[in-house]
Amino acid sequence: MKILVLNCGSSSVKYRLLDLENNKVLGSGGVEKIGMKGSFLKHIRQDHQTVILEGEVLEHQTAIEYILGVLTSAKHGCIKSLEEIDAVGHRVVHGAEKFNSSVLITNEVIKKIEECIDIAPLHNPPNLAGISAISELLPTVPQVAVFDTAFHQTMPEYAFMYPIPYSLYTKYGIRRYGFHGTSHRYVSHRACEFLNMDYNRTKIITVHLGNGASITAIENGKSIDTSMGFTPLEGLMMGTRSGDVDLGIATFLMEKEMIGPSALSTLFNKHSGVLGVSGISSDMRDIETAIANGNERAKLALDMYEYRIKKYIGAYVASLNGVDLIVFTGGVGENQAGTRQNIMKGLTYLGVEIDEEANASARGKEALISSAGSKVKVAVIPTDEEFMIASDTMEIINEMKKQ
Amino acid sequence: MSQPIIEPIEKYGLSKRSRRRTLFSKIGVVGCGNEGSAIATIALLNGIEVVFLEPTEEKIANAFTRIERKLNKRIQNWGLTENEKKIALSRVQGTTKYKDFTGCDFVIEAVRYDDQTGERHVEERKEVFLQLEKVLSPQAIIASNVSTVVITELASELQYKERCIGLHFLSNVPGSNIIEIVRGLYTSDETYEKICQFARLINHQYVAVAESAGLVSIRLFLIELNEACEMLMEGISNVEDIDKVLTVGFGHRLGVFRTADQMGIEKIVKLMENLYQEYGNQKYKPSPVLLRLSRAKHFGVKKGKGFYEYDESGNILK
Repeated sequence: MKILVLNCGSSSVKYRLLDLENNKVLGSGGVEKIGMKGSFLKHIRQDHQTVILEGEVLEHQTAIEYILGVLTSAKHGCIKSLEEIDAVGHRVVHGAEKFNSSVLITNEVIKKIEECIDIAPLHNPPNLAGISAISELLPTVPQVAVFDTAFHQTMPEYAFMYPIPYSLYTKYGIRRYGFHGTSHRYVSHRACEFLNMDYNRTKIITVHLGNGASITAIENGKSIDTSMGFTPLEGLMMGTRSGDVDLGIATFLMEKEMIGPSALSTLFNKHSGVLGVSGISSDMRDIETAIANGNERAKLALDMYEYRIKKYIGAYVASLNGVDLIVFTGGVGENQAGTRQNIMKGLTYLGVEIDEEANASARGKEALISSAGSKVKVAVIPTDEEFMIASDTMEIINEMKKQ
Repeated sequence: MSQPIIEPIEKYGLSKRSRRRTLFSKIGVVGCGNEGSAIATIALLNGIEVVFLEPTEEKIANAFTRIERKLNKRIQNWGLTENEKKIALSRVQGTTKYKDFTGCDFVIEAVRYDDQTGERHVEERKEVFLQLEKVLSPQAIIASNVSTVVITELASELQYKERCIGLHFLSNVPGSNIIEIVRGLYTSDETYEKICQFARLINHQYVAVAESAGLVSIRLFLIELNEACEMLMEGISNVEDIDKVLTVGFGHRLGVFRTADQMGIEKIVKLMENLYQEYGNQKYKPSPVLLRLSRAKHFGVKKGKGFYEYDESGNILK
């Protein structure tokens, strides 16, 4: 079964065409800068050759048309005709309380996703643009929506509610939703497979450290708490996002700096985090270089970054009343051995024992990085949201065929 | 790793049909002074490509400086990142030739006020409209940044008059996200609807106002300013305190005198004379306080002196 996975952002569309039965990536890539100057499509062929197609791409529909064009082209393509595509799986950011799992896209589902725009004004509209483009270009191909929030719908009420007036929950749906659900679900599953543990009887903490960062407590296969909340701003310190801060800062600044809600949002989302503290970069590699050159603010940023992760792990150990497995993933989690080591050094009270050699050599590949005697297993699992989306899509399509 | 293969994208389209352009992906601005550059900046920040026209290369360079200053101010106030500024600036192009507006689906005339007289010449603006009609498609909208009765007159000599419409951005009040949309006698419903769509695209609220001198915003503002000047003359209060009542008491952003200084006293005097002429009511007659400032060329922020005194970056001197 060939499945096309699409991830439509505000000015980009990422894609991957997978042959799931043979476990092969047929082609992948993305269109960037949609609607801007200098838009281009970067396609990676099966033989790993990169192809860059430059030209005007003004909207998502056109971007997807070009993607389908490249995939079917004689020169760089991997399929002969569009009919070979059996299904399309879409990443959809916000499913609110309406979706607790992946679903086949119908008119009713589209309507519900539209209803979520209010609380995900930046993300859901491009996701919907991708869905409508496929409906037009491949009208007979079934489509599946996989939600970033769905995995966390199992959080108990006491974990997802905010201690603010209840009426705001009923009026606007203000509660904690959590994000990166597809990634947390994939790496927790995969880690159990990899380590031969029973997913449904394990206490897991998954630490996703990428541009955005979040951490999830999973008990017997269910997310019971996660660090991102109503928006992806809550929780860990991130590249440019502050994570948890005292809200009093916001009101204080509004008055002191005479700024309104949109500037405030930019301040906490784009000027803060590792970038804001270090004043150098949001990229951990730049931070490590700066630290090597003796930059103290870079050191401070990294110390804060790691400390806040450790603190959250501690909190989730309490939520779970123990932990069997900790999983690192995301660009930083998969590659920065130093950060992993510093975090684990502070978890010896749990009986975490690091295998320093295994940790140092684990870069972007699946690995067990705790020692044989460690009471808690610690693993690195590279995340693969596209695979998860494709596999959900296949499952739903197979289910559909049965009926 | 082998070198990437680079090719043009066009031949990979699925169909030969011409690609649908998103409406308002590229707009034009004629005259990139204070108001023109404010409009251009708003469009840029909302992902729209902008072409602006100025008569000389030197003025183009000045306009770029103005736009950049506006963006820098946003960065200072935490509302924008360096990277976003770079992206915004990559979308703007300055030109001295009308033909570079080809392909725009919307062009707004924002020819600046004459430095000496504080007026915007109708004949000059008519010429802008005629030039625009030569290079734009019949569906493209031609707008003018207006606060007086002029849009019908500007449209009258065009072949496709129904595409003309007036817009009024309150560009002198920071963060005022509202546009007054002015329909002339010829303006079609379609043009009006498209402009409403444009307003939403740039995250502005909008209200429809009939073609009239001063619209809602300017007319109310001028009356308030005149009355405030009256109070100064009567010795009831002073500049700072009156602005304080308005800002603290009524939640206005700047206060009436600071807003006047931002707009330029010479423009205000002209606008008042225009309203007085149109409505014939004494209440629109510019107060002697305004006339005195205008004669002394104390026009406000840009001259460093108006109701308040300012330093070079426009901050009030205490």
